[in-house]
Amino acid sequence: MDDLNVVGHPVTRVDVDEKVTGTATYGYDLVLPDMLHGKVLFSTRAHARIVSIDLEKARRHPGVVAAISGADAPWTHGESIKDKPFLAQGKVRYIGEPVAAVAAVDEDTAQEALKLIAVEYEDLPAYFTPEDACQPGATAIHEEFEDYRKAPFIVGAPMPNVCEHFKLRTGDTAEGFRQSDMVLEEKYYVPIIQHAAMEPHSAHAQVDPESGRVTIWVANDAPFRALTEVSEALGLPQEQIRLINPLQGGGFGSKGGLKLEPIAMGLAFQTNGRPVRVKFNREETFISTLVRHEATVHIKSGVKKDGTLTARHMTLYWGGGAYAEKSPTVCIRGSLPSPGPYRIPHVHVDGYAVYTNKPVAGAFRGYGIPQGAWATEQHMDELARRLAMDPLEFRLKNVFVDGDMAYWGEQLHSVGLTETLTKAAEAIDWGKPKPAGVGRGLACISKPTRSPTTSKAGVLVDADNRVTVLAGTVEIGQGSNTILSQVAAEELRVPIEQVQVAPLDTDAIPFDASTTSSRSTYHMGNAVRGAAIHAREQLLEMAGHALEGKQEELVAAGGRVHLKDNEDMALTYGELIRRRLGADAVLRGDASYTYEIGKDLDLETGHSDHASAFYMYATQAAEASVDEETGRVRLHRVSAAHDVGKAINPLNCVAQIEGGVAQGIGSALHENLVIDENGKVRNPSFLDYHLVTSLDVPEIIPIVVECAEPEGPYGAKGLGEPGLAPTPAAIGNAVADAIKSRIRDLPLTPERVFRALEERDRK
Amino acid sequence: MSQPIEFTLNGRATSVDAPAHRLLLDLLRDEIGVTGTKEGCGTGDCGACTVYLNGKPVNSCLVLTGELAGADVVTIEGLKEGDAYHPIQAAFIEDGGAQCGYCTPGMLMMAKSFLEENPDPTDDEIRFALSGNLCRCTGYVKIVEAVQDAAAELRRRAAEGRNNG
Repeated sequence: MDDLNVVGHPVTRVDVDEKVTGTATYGYDLVLPDMLHGKVLFSTRAHARIVSIDLEKARRHPGVVAAISGADAPWTHGESIKDKPFLAQGKVRYIGEPVAAVAAVDEDTAQEALKLIAVEYEDLPAYFTPEDACQPGATAIHEEFEDYRKAPFIVGAPMPNVCEHFKLRTGDTAEGFRQSDMVLEEKYYVPIIQHAAMEPHSAHAQVDPESGRVTIWVANDAPFRALTEVSEALGLPQEQIRLINPLQGGGFGSKGGLKLEPIAMGLAFQTNGRPVRVKFNREETFISTLVRHEATVHIKSGVKKDGTLTARHMTLYWGGGAYAEKSPTVCIRGSLPSPGPYRIPHVHVDGYAVYTNKPVAGAFRGYGIPQGAWATEQHMDELARRLAMDPLEFRLKNVFVDGDMAYWGEQLHSVGLTETLTKAAEAIDWGKPKPAGVGRGLACISKPTRSPTTSKAGVLVDADNRVTVLAGTVEIGQGSNTILSQVAAEELRVPIEQVQVAPLDTDAIPFDASTTSSRSTYHMGNAVRGAAIHAREQLLEMAGHALEGKQEELVAAGGRVHLKDNEDMALTYGELIRRRLGADAVLRGDASYTYEIGKDLDLETGHSDHASAFYMYATQAAEASVDEETGRVRLHRVSAAHDVGKAINPLNCVAQIEGGVAQGIGSALHENLVIDENGKVRNPSFLDYHLVTSLDVPEIIPIVVECAEPEGPYGAKGLGEPGLAPTPAAIGNAVADAIKSRIRDLPLTPERVFRALEERDRK
Repeated sequence: MSQPIEFTLNGRATSVDAPAHRLLLDLLRDEIGVTGTKEGCGTGDCGACTVYLNGKPVNSCLVLTGELAGADVVTIEGLKEGDAYHPIQAAFIEDGGAQCGYCTPGMLMMAKSFLEENPDPTDDEIRFALSGNLCRCTGYVKIVEAVQDAAAELRRRAAEGRNNG
């Protein structure tokens, strides 16, 4: 491993030139010839029957080519529950739901036409918290729930509006509580936040009037998932659908699934072959795309005087919004490790994903881990305080180490948690004296990745010595094009400048499950590595003929092949290809990587002997103080130690950690998508929804820990998602340490902190 | 109602027919087809659409086409110095100042303008100057580093210019 030339080095991003010169074309920038402009009419009611929609005036408006409602696009889709119509069908389930759409010659005309659409509603009872929505007697948000097509892992519950019930059953928690010396029970809350990628959402669609073939241009995280979902919805074979992925201006989970794609397609079916662009502005993006799940988390823990955890009982209510989208799998993969990365003999978890009349909750960087971590990692500090134990020592006593049997029935390996704990703590001078009013806190997490999944890749080498990677991983800013170029360059022994990554088009690129779940470096890294090795082997075989040498005498280096004892006779790959295959020939290597899962997750116990291809481990530690006059939190520094397995690109690892921590700070201190008692988003702008600015970020101390994963490429795991997961709890613990009072609801606004100070002073 | 507007865009005389109420951002992106300038919010809150107007940075989503007659507009497409990167571009490349890159054009234009006013800034001054330019990817750490490095390079060039002059 020590003789790596490109992997493990801080390589400059391969896609940066176009980003600093303005030549990069994002989805939002794309202009197609003869394109029409689509605009959407949104529901103004949280839960209502649609009595009537009148599109006639809009259709007659000059410049309008198509005006549609649900009746004109009678299709539904969804990843694990097929519950979401292309446009509202018969009823609306949240304010901001697309109800009708218009395609016109320009945006102004489309906007004018929207005003001519009349919709009559009849209100129904609406629910704005998951707990309210699943109370006995609550009105069903989806009356047809029983009839929806569902994935086999969906488990119902005898409560209204629950779209998934996750159960984990290990040991006997009653017995565990009996064995303990202390039991603590608390409730925590995480509000809705939004991804707020800087590029708002857009989608373009075109339907060929001759062949009926559908083409979609969209910056989508998971183009092949989208292909499947469109195919299932429209009843078209996948060959009849093509998805072209322009560059994506950030995603963080918001750009998977189908959002504007169904609207663009619905319109494109009515425009006789003309392409349609649908763009959401920022306000529309806030009210009508995806958000992160709000969650209420109840925890009861039993612990012995010496700090040994004996039992943990958890109930999590995940607010899914109006449609299931990712709720079932967020509920499963967020609830499963929610008791924390600890040895606990008796564990009982119930996770409920619940429909509400709010914007749809989807994937968000961290996929359910941040919500559980906010609760559990604060709870750990509350236990430590009562035990009079140092929070670091308490964690080190209970935390997973190599060989442990996790409470979901899997034996763990390559666990870098202890190292992340000690290093993150040390970086903020843990245990050393600190000024009065300054608090320190830490939090740790483990995160599974979506499993099992497949990535396929191709690597092309041409007669001009160019290497082209064909990979379905979407460059969303995380640096995947650089990582995959490094892997190809490493295995083909060429300078990285010779490598390019092909544009993403499902007609030309092999299958990949998704750019989600921090799975790409591991899965696609393995696939690209395999494809590059396959190409190299073919080149060596051709070189054996050309140079009249045996395979073991050949050396590939610097984009050439030579005999071990004769470097002067080297042939470039291009020369080999020209000689053996022809001047226009392209040599292709292929590979596929699938992580083979052990036993499937048992739906009654939540157990699996191999629930994830790998686990990501991280600890973050924060130092903070509070302005006691205003309640404002002042962050001094945040350290972040992440076990990445192997840093393929150390520069990129640091960049991912810094960006993740900044998002974590936002969710800790500011971010909250405020939805009023009528279900309306009150802060759908960057003026009112406080994203982290350059003034809000303190010193960040990134620490890369490398506890190699044997199956990963060069030992790599993943990194993208955990960056923000422990941050709020680390900050919450630091604030509690500073003010000697605990806040259990996010975000830690000045008002909440001020009230916590008042409460402390009353005692 | 469209009307002819003449202004200078990245050093070139430009003439377009557009309604006076058209936003400069939309004029650039939709009418002229120069899409390096990005729309992040359309309400002047994120800075992604920052361009130079008569030598000063502005949010192009808050400027109307009617204000442009005779104006000098410079966008990200006009930042390179011939074939060479401007030092602020070079620093963003070297330091990893861009991830998804969507905020980058606006960030670069704002940083360039800031360094013209303050060639030797502290980190806090950089953070203050860029606080109207939102970035969701980087946490701003590498951006601040890049602006410092660009400042150093620009100072080095200025000193060289003085010595040679």
